[in-house]
Amino acid sequence: MARVRLDNVTKRYEDITAVDEISLDIEDGEFLCLVGPSGCGKSTTMETVAGLTKPTDGSIYIGEREVTNLAPKDRGVAMVFQNIALFPHMNVFENISFGLRLRTYDDEEIERRVSQAADIVQLTGMEERMPNELSGGQRQRVAIARAIVRNPGVFLMDEPLANLDAKLRVHMRTELQRLHRELQTTVIYVTHDQAEAMTMADRIAVLDAGRLQQVDPPLSCYNEPDNLFVAGFIGSPSMNFVEGELVEDGLETPNFHVAFDSSRVPDVAVGREVTFGVRPEDVHLSASSDAVSRPTEAISARTDVIEPMGDEVFVYLLLSDTVDRGMDRDPASSPDQLLMSLPADTQITDDQQVEVVFDAARIHLFDTETGTALTHGIPEADGAAEGGTMTEADG
Amino acid sequence: MTDDDSRGATKPESNPKRIGRGATNANVPGDESANASIPDGGQVDSTGTGHDSTAESAAIDGSADEPLRRGPFQRWVDESISNPGRLYRSLFYVVTIFFLLTTLFPFYWLLMVALTPEGRQQDIFLTPNGFNPGAFVEVFEVIPFHWYMFNSFVIASASTVVVLVIASLAGYAFGRLEFPGKVPLLLLVLVISFFPPAAFFIPLNDLFNTPVGILRPITGNGTLYNTPGAMVLPLSAIFMPLSIFILTTFYSQIPEGLEDAARVEGTTRLGALIRVIIPLSAPGVATAGVLTFIAVYNEFFFSFLMTDGQPQNWAPILEGILAYQGQYEVLYHLMAASSIIGVIPVAILVIVAQERIVSGLTAGALKE
Repeated sequence: MARVRLDNVTKRYEDITAVDEISLDIEDGEFLCLVGPSGCGKSTTMETVAGLTKPTDGSIYIGEREVTNLAPKDRGVAMVFQNIALFPHMNVFENISFGLRLRTYDDEEIERRVSQAADIVQLTGMEERMPNELSGGQRQRVAIARAIVRNPGVFLMDEPLANLDAKLRVHMRTELQRLHRELQTTVIYVTHDQAEAMTMADRIAVLDAGRLQQVDPPLSCYNEPDNLFVAGFIGSPSMNFVEGELVEDGLETPNFHVAFDSSRVPDVAVGREVTFGVRPEDVHLSASSDAVSRPTEAISARTDVIEPMGDEVFVYLLLSDTVDRGMDRDPASSPDQLLMSLPADTQITDDQQVEVVFDAARIHLFDTETGTALTHGIPEADGAAEGGTMTEADG
Repeated sequence: MTDDDSRGATKPESNPKRIGRGATNANVPGDESANASIPDGGQVDSTGTGHDSTAESAAIDGSADEPLRRGPFQRWVDESISNPGRLYRSLFYVVTIFFLLTTLFPFYWLLMVALTPEGRQQDIFLTPNGFNPGAFVEVFEVIPFHWYMFNSFVIASASTVVVLVIASLAGYAFGRLEFPGKVPLLLLVLVISFFPPAAFFIPLNDLFNTPVGILRPITGNGTLYNTPGAMVLPLSAIFMPLSIFILTTFYSQIPEGLEDAARVEGTTRLGALIRVIIPLSAPGVATAGVLTFIAVYNEFFFSFLMTDGQPQNWAPILEGILAYQGQYEVLYHLMAASSIIGVIPVAILVIVAQERIVSGLTAGALKE
């Protein structure tokens, strides 16, 4: 078990900067998810920790040891790969014991450890099988057994569930969490699936274009995203964004007005371009606004597409009659559309006039130009900010 | 009769339709009696698919087409069109038999020459003039042919080892690493393989006849001439490019993740090459090894000129076979017998390696 520290790690390929000055401090026993869209540098970051890629700049510490220039084998890490990467010419036992046989363990010790690891991942009795005789989930379990058998200080998992089918993925997700609770080993887990990150991680590190966007526990990333990127990436379906302008008595957007005392929003002056963000579940029908602690003024809209999901209903709202419905426009970022999520039993049809309200405590404001979050939960008219401003959240 | 013939001949436009259904489909009800009176027509049916199908299909057709008379070749062509597998199969046999004939007949003839007693070598064609299996023992009595064989075996094995080791490292670098100048370097290797070996001979022969101080304790006079090195060095170099290309291709196909996994688990890059990449590329390594071994074993030019022909001076099989050629007589039957004996190690190697190659392929080793 070990703590992992990345200190200004940068990786540049000829003209691309894959990882840009990332500094991370991962506690001993922590489950940290590196999450971000494809090509954001999360895998490269992990490879620098594993030693498979040498950073252009910066240093990496595992435990108290600097490992920046050490070979992968000397770092005390184990890795589970996206493509599972079992050695096809070796049976399960040989695969699991591969790392042990390269070190000075006697046969008895190897045997004992392999059977223990096989027991943990529930593969007992399959030691003689070849990888091509195993199912996808079993292969993944062999790969995990191969990683845990050496008692590594750090587990590195590079999208280990990406190649499994949806059902198995959910199952293995639970298994991995159980395993982490049992072993209490530091885990760095790379995924592009924010749902995986949300469910498994102690902390999430969100990356975009090689830069670290936010490192926080999952719910903090969800409720108090540091910037537009995190707000849009975490959560599914993603947050609604509407661009507008800060005015004296609130926020003015092309289609609606949200009233609040804008002088109470820190670090921003009236006249500034801001982006209004609200999650689909924080948009409510005004008929049911009594369930909302601080409803905003009602906005009239027309329903467009209805997507019943079983446990909830997604409703696309059109705020104006002249909607830009180009196929290339992401509905979440269109100023004229909002996505709302309603309880499954709500009676609603398409092309229906509705009145909606937002939960003021759960409205986010971002600086349009820099993308930085200005406030989570708009200030109450009487001045007592409920959701807390950025300064409070940071403190 | 003439009426039938002329109708069959004057209705070519209806033939293409029938080809697909087979010749007998064209028959009509009531034809059986006509056929019975026509010997040719009767033959057509009896060798074709038979009367039953004729009557059946005619009943379905309900048409009144006249029978088509075809010779055996036409029938064969017709069946080949409706059933191409037959044609491919017969072509396969034709080609295989031709191939076997051209490759195996020389061996057969060599055996006939070997079995013919000395002095009766004229006019051997399919049978030996006499029977003298003792020639296969005699070859070892007249000269120490086993010694020549040992030399050849050592030279070929050493070259194979040298080639596989160096080509594996080169194949790894070319197949799995990115480095500046990779493509030009690979092209250079290719270009070198285009040079005729003879172009290297004179400078190499000169070099190998020059005494070098550090070699004195090993070779006595300090030159490589009359040592295995004089053949292993140039022959490894000449056959190296082929192996490099084979191994580059194979090594580049091993998924990146497997090597990464091996390195994280505790090997170096070289360790990953030996423990994971080479075992998974077994068919490629076997191919490269077998090709190199056979090529060196069969090589003529350097083998003939880099020693003085004495078995104690590492002369290969080639020199052994030529040693049966004296100033006054040529022992053709011994040359033939020794040639056959010389082929045996290679034949065994190919059979063994072939099993390896096949088992490597059927294991589906590259599937993840």
